Parts: sequence; structure tokens; C-alpha cells
Amino acid sequence: MFSFSVVGTSLYIGNMLFVLISFLILMWLIKIFAWKPITNMMEKRSNKIANDIDSAEKSRNDAVKLAQQRQSELENTHQEASGIIAQAKQTGSNQRDQILDDARKDAALMKSTAQKDIEQQRQEALANSRKDVASLSVEIASKIISKELNADDQKALVDSYIEGLGKQNGSK
Amino acid sequence: MNEKTATFQFLGLTFNVGNMVSVLLACVVVFCVVFALSRHITMKPGKGQNVLEWLVDFTNGIVRSALSGKVANDLGLWGFTTFLFILISNLQGLLLQVDVSGVTYVKSPTADPIITMTFALLTLTLAQYLGIRKNGYKQHFLSYFKPFKVFVIVNIFEEFTNFLTLGLRLFGNIFAGEMLLGIITKMAVGGGPLMWVVSLPLSLAWQGFSVFIGCIQAFIFVTLSSVYISHKVDIEE
Repeated sequence: MFSFSVVGTSLYIGNMLFVLISFLILMWLIKIFAWKPITNMMEKRSNKIANDIDSAEKSRNDAVKLAQQRQSELENTHQEASGIIAQAKQTGSNQRDQILDDARKDAALMKSTAQKDIEQQRQEALANSRKDVASLSVEIASKIISKELNADDQKALVDSYIEGLGKQNGSK
Repeated sequence: MNEKTATFQFLGLTFNVGNMVSVLLACVVVFCVVFALSRHITMKPGKGQNVLEWLVDFTNGIVRSALSGKVANDLGLWGFTTFLFILISNLQGLLLQVDVSGVTYVKSPTADPIITMTFALLTLTLAQYLGIRKNGYKQHFLSYFKPFKVFVIVNIFEEFTNFLTLGLRLFGNIFAGEMLLGIITKMAVGGGPLMWVVSLPLSLAWQGFSVFIGCIQAFIFVTLSSVYISHKVDIEE
């Protein structure tokens, strides 16, 4: 029917149709079995890679933020620790001063008490010794007196004594 | 390659049995290759998937070098199928030629102008369709009158020359390759044992060159088709 010459061969419309149809069927089959799955997978993969890059970026930022937070926390802790140490030192020195003060006061108190005691004892001892000295002096005096009396005097004294004794007995 | 062909008439249309068998065989080979490569598609590509993805990227690259946007996405499948089909068609005749009593039944389908012309026609029809879809009827047909009205003759003539050159370039390259291969084979068969020794390296060398030509032509066909389509889609002002 449509048979005319192109470069020396006859044109077969039937062949053209056959080629067209078989090519279209081939294209359709490839689309179903290979093209769709492979392009889907490639798209999925590119999406996944993009997501991975995004999430990697995000986690990197998070890590940086976290590191900064740690750093600042560390600094805070450092400051806090040095504050605590300073406070402890202060408290320690205060306490030391107070203890020293107390000890000094105690010592002073004890010293004054001891002085008082010593004074009292000294007074007592003084009083005692005074008494002793008095009696001793009396004794000594009596001894001296008795020694210096001559025989007459002694006789008179004995007489008077006896007289006194007699009076005493008479009154009895 | 033989000049005689087996034909039959059906519904008033003439069919060439040799072409039909060759085209079918090429289709089956392409489908089997792609089907085998596309099994077990996973996120981490295996061997077959890598090959297939490389092919897809390659043909997408060809299409995207000339076109962009939605049209390029739509033409991805067309570029992939056309490239593979033409590639297999070009190489098929180098591997396998079946002649039965002087009539060729299996050969390179692209060594027949009818088939290459069909592909050229498909390309140019696609170009017209995509041009109209993108720019509308008015814009599309007005572009024939640019840069000025007299150019309408040149532009319409250009459509025909595009069609002819696109089809005949492919046909000529592959046909010439097979023709020379046929002559070398005839020489070997007709000249006795000595000619076998002489023509074997010749045949080897020419087959290698034909494989190279076949690959290049498949690439060129898809590239030029994309360029023609891009001419119709992106009208220059």
C-alpha cells in the first residue's frame, strides 16, 4: 500500500508499526520492572543522604552546645569549689581565734582562782603560824620567866601558888 | 546481510519477518538484562544494581545535558530504553546473524533504515508533542516563523532533514559495519583455509571497531534526540 522508495529499500509500514509497538511494550515493561523501583530507590537514597547530612549537622551542633555547657558548668563548679574552700578557711580561722580566745580566758580565770586560793591559804597559814607563834612565845616566855626567877622569888611564887591552891580547896 | 527478505502481507500492511524477529530478539535481550539487573533492589546497592544505576545516571545525564526540569524527568525512561535498545540492536548483528536459504532472519535491527527511521520519527513526534505541551499550539507553530516569516520554508525543511539525518546516520553506520563484516565472511568462506587465516584477524579487528561504533552511535542517537527535543521545548527568541 504505502510502498515507496527510501534509500533503495521499500518502506514497510507494517514493520514500522511492529517496531513502534514492540518498543513501547519494552519501555512499559522496563518501567514496571526496573525503572520505577530503581528511580524510587535512588530518590530514597538521596533523601536519606540529605537527612543524614542534616542530622549529622544537628548532632554536631548539639555536641558543641553540650561541650560549651560542660565548660561553663566546670567553671561554675570551680568557682563554687574555691568559694567553699575560702569559706572553710574563714570558718577555720574564726574558730581557731575563738578557741584561742576561750583558752586564754579560761587560763586567766584559772590563774586568778589559783591566785585567790593561794592567797587564802597563805592567809590561813599566816593565821595559824601567828597562833602558833603566840602560844610558842607564851611558852617561851613562861620558860624564860620560870628560869629567871631566883630562889626567893620562886619560893614566894610557889607560896602564892599554894596559897591559891589552898583558897581554891577552902572554897571547895 | 542479504538483500533478499522474507515478507508477508497482513491487513494490507507489509511485514518483514527478519526485522520482526531481530527487533523481538533485541527487545527480549534488553528486557532480560534490565530484569536481571533490577532484582533485589536495596538501599545499599549490590553489583547488578550498581550497574543499572550507573546506566540510569548515564542516560539521565545525556538527557539532562540538553533538557531540564519536568521534561527531563519525563524523558528519563525514554532515554534509558532508547539507549539500551539501540545499543543492543547495534551489537546484536555482530554476535549473531542467522541466514536461512539466503534470507536473513536475525541481524542488527538498526541495520535496516525502516527501524532507524521509526526511531527518528518517534523522536521528532515526541519533540512536537513536548513542544506543544510546554508552549501551547500557538507559540509552538509560531516558532516556525522565527526569526522572520520567510524562514518557515527552512524550518519545515529542517524538520525533514533532522528526521532523515537522525535515522540515516544510525542506519548507515551499522549497515556499513555489517556489510563489511559480511564481505569478510564471504571472503573467508569462499577462499579456502588460507583465507580463513587472513580474514580472521581482519574480522576480529572490524568487529571490535563495530562494537565501538555501535556504542558511539547509540550515545549519539540519544544525545541528538535530546537536542532536537530541547529545540522544540525551549524556543529561542
